[in-house]
Amino acid sequence: MDFLGAFTPDNLIFLLKGFYVTLKVAFISIIFSFIIGGALGTIRFTKIPIVSNIAAVLVETIRNLPLLLIILFTYFALPEIGINLGITVSAIVALTIFESAMLAEIVRGGLISIEKGQMEAARSSGLSYIQALRLVILPQALRRMVPNLVSQFISLLKDTSLAVVIALPELLHHAKIIQAQELSYVIPIFLLIALMYFVVNFALSLIAKRLELKSA
Amino acid sequence: MFKMKKVLLLAIVTLMSVMVLAACNSGGEKSSSEEEGKNVLETIKKRDKIIVGVKFDTKLFGLKNPTSGEVEGFDIDVAKQLAKEILGDENKIEFVEVTSKTRIPLLNKGDIDAIVATMTITEDREKEVDFTDVYFEAGQSLLVKKGSPIKSIDDLTKETTVIAVKGSTSTDNIREKAPDAPVLEFENYAEAFTALKSGKGDTLTTDNSILLGMASEDDSFELVGGTFTDEPYGIAVKSGEKEFLDALNKALEAQNSSGEFDKIYDKWFE
Repeated sequence: MDFLGAFTPDNLIFLLKGFYVTLKVAFISIIFSFIIGGALGTIRFTKIPIVSNIAAVLVETIRNLPLLLIILFTYFALPEIGINLGITVSAIVALTIFESAMLAEIVRGGLISIEKGQMEAARSSGLSYIQALRLVILPQALRRMVPNLVSQFISLLKDTSLAVVIALPELLHHAKIIQAQELSYVIPIFLLIALMYFVVNFALSLIAKRLELKSA
Repeated sequence: MFKMKKVLLLAIVTLMSVMVLAACNSGGEKSSSEEEGKNVLETIKKRDKIIVGVKFDTKLFGLKNPTSGEVEGFDIDVAKQLAKEILGDENKIEFVEVTSKTRIPLLNKGDIDAIVATMTITEDREKEVDFTDVYFEAGQSLLVKKGSPIKSIDDLTKETTVIAVKGSTSTDNIREKAPDAPVLEFENYAEAFTALKSGKGDTLTTDNSILLGMASEDDSFELVGGTFTDEPYGIAVKSGEKEFLDALNKALEAQNSSGEFDKIYDKWFE
């Protein structure tokens, strides 16, 4: 174990560059999957014939596949049918597809948890179904979802490391390159990147706790 | 029951429409890539740059330097010489990172022109890609402290302990080739090398490409006896690209006869 040799400024900067890619890919995927997952979850909740069924089939299919399979599929299989996305976009697309399905279920769960009386009261006060959903049900449901949403975002951030299989230059990938320089760097670098993941994810869960307390 | 049927039907319809879409797409793509020009060598000359897939995480062959951001290694220097022979300038080259998993798909997709990435020539791979002549003789070898009585695999007896890494094919190979010698297994290369340094065994065996890396970390150790398994590295190109393959073989030949190849070899492995 050679901590001094492993933690040179150059190596640390190199790791931070990898972490930047991790955070960037995670952030973009979170935005997209929140939009798509939110839409899918709401559609499934509304029970519109056919449309809700399609959403259900999509969500259930994707939720039951391993993320690694989806990453390999977007990178290796899509080019075969003429869709060549490149490494970063493949990773973002795969993460978005998978996390959308996970978030859809969280959103649906949140919506279901709101008492039926809320919808009935909103409707009888003259709001349309869409209005009632948007103005009465969703705001309440969203608050209840926060802890689950954040824990899913944390999973997503950690899941970006799976893209190491398609050589996405993220944190784990850069760690592997530094470890390859000297055998004695392996343990120090693993400890350091574990700390980096932990700090960011722990901060996220602290923020989630704060939000929970506020909304309670 | 009725609902289940509906869901199933929907699933089938979705799947079928995806497949139809996919079929349309692939038809369109093929014709457009055929129009782009069939000959990789011509494409490279027109582009005035060769795109090579190399490893970024393999010591001595292709390793990214965190300080300079450049990739360095034996494979890199060999590839630069190819660019020099084919395009007249060793800097007319672009390196793309490949891993053992991604290199053949990237080559067949056309993202890279050639693979120079510690790739062993095997019969299975020859069905998918074409290989140039051998440019590096890889194989299992022995690492010993300088001055050790062990000079080759024939010197391994009951008295000489061999250090190996658990679960690797090199353990099986050494048990087969030197059945008398006791084998001491460790979890990983770092532990195995530490064990050799501290005298827990007389020699450490694995692929020579890894042993060369260890010898470069501590020059009181050396490789002996050449290789006793055969894993020749070749440069891979898309199958059917005969002109490009010939050009690469000619470039390798030229490196060899000019002595440039030996210089590169000595730079990394001596």
